[in-house]
Amino acid sequence: MQNRLATEDQRLVAAVQGKDRKATAEFVSRHADAIYRYVYSRLVPCADQVEDLVQLVFLAAWENLGEYRGASSLESWLMGIARHKVEDYYRACLREPEPLEGTEEEPSFGTLRPDFDELLDRELARKKTWQVLARLPEKYRVVLLWRYWDTCSAREMATRTGKTEKAIERLLARARNEFRWMWNHE
Amino acid sequence: MNRQEADEQQFERLAEMAGNSDPGFSAAPARLKARIYSTLVKRQQESGPLRSLTETKAAGGRLCVFEHAWTITVIGERAKRLNLCRVCHARLLAQRMEKAPIYWSGCPYVDFQK
Repeated sequence: MQNRLATEDQRLVAAVQGKDRKATAEFVSRHADAIYRYVYSRLVPCADQVEDLVQLVFLAAWENLGEYRGASSLESWLMGIARHKVEDYYRACLREPEPLEGTEEEPSFGTLRPDFDELLDRELARKKTWQVLARLPEKYRVVLLWRYWDTCSAREMATRTGKTEKAIERLLARARNEFRWMWNHE
Repeated sequence: MNRQEADEQQFERLAEMAGNSDPGFSAAPARLKARIYSTLVKRQQESGPLRSLTETKAAGGRLCVFEHAWTITVIGERAKRLNLCRVCHARLLAQRMEKAPIYWSGCPYVDFQK
């Protein structure tokens, strides 16, 4: 099954590189939903930016298709490009001046209430999490998604944005507090 | 465990529980797929001619009614490498409308809407 998929991916890549228009349509048709789903979840609610970024992913893929060796599935390879593009977006977003930088300990808004562990309906909690994320200020949303969903360490984020680790930790603390406040007051 | 560590753990668990993507999501818009496809084909053309429609058909590609007619009526292989979608109204409609009134088989813009 795995081998058949790899062969199919390589066939498709070769045909797209050969500028076969129907193969190019198949390439878009087969992978656009997965890439869009990922980018949408990382940039929500900036719908217009999601579309631009997805388009950039496919353009970058076309330009680098020669580098695809079939070591992973075509979808994983495309997802890698998507992650890089999303990270570029995160970096640009977090590099903007942070007016509150340098403030001391943030006031805590306590724990998430009702505790998500206690929520019987996990689906509701899932929905609520994404709703709260979508309503957060962009910088807070980005820093939370990058840290906890894309599991990038604060140190790594600091290196990639040119900020100090302390500044990233402070931003994370503020983002967590804002998230809790919104969670508890929704 | 200090407050920051507790926070970290709580949000790590929250991310795990919430999953990798928004459950409210369904599929990429058809007009986005249409735009991506048009851009890719345009880029492909910029670095040389496309694969001819005859070769595409031989490789199992489904031609639309216009492409099919073109392969029958046009003799030169060079002309069969042209991007006919560029002058087709299906492309224009599909790039702007989520449910464009285009129906013929073999048209990628129709397939994106399925």
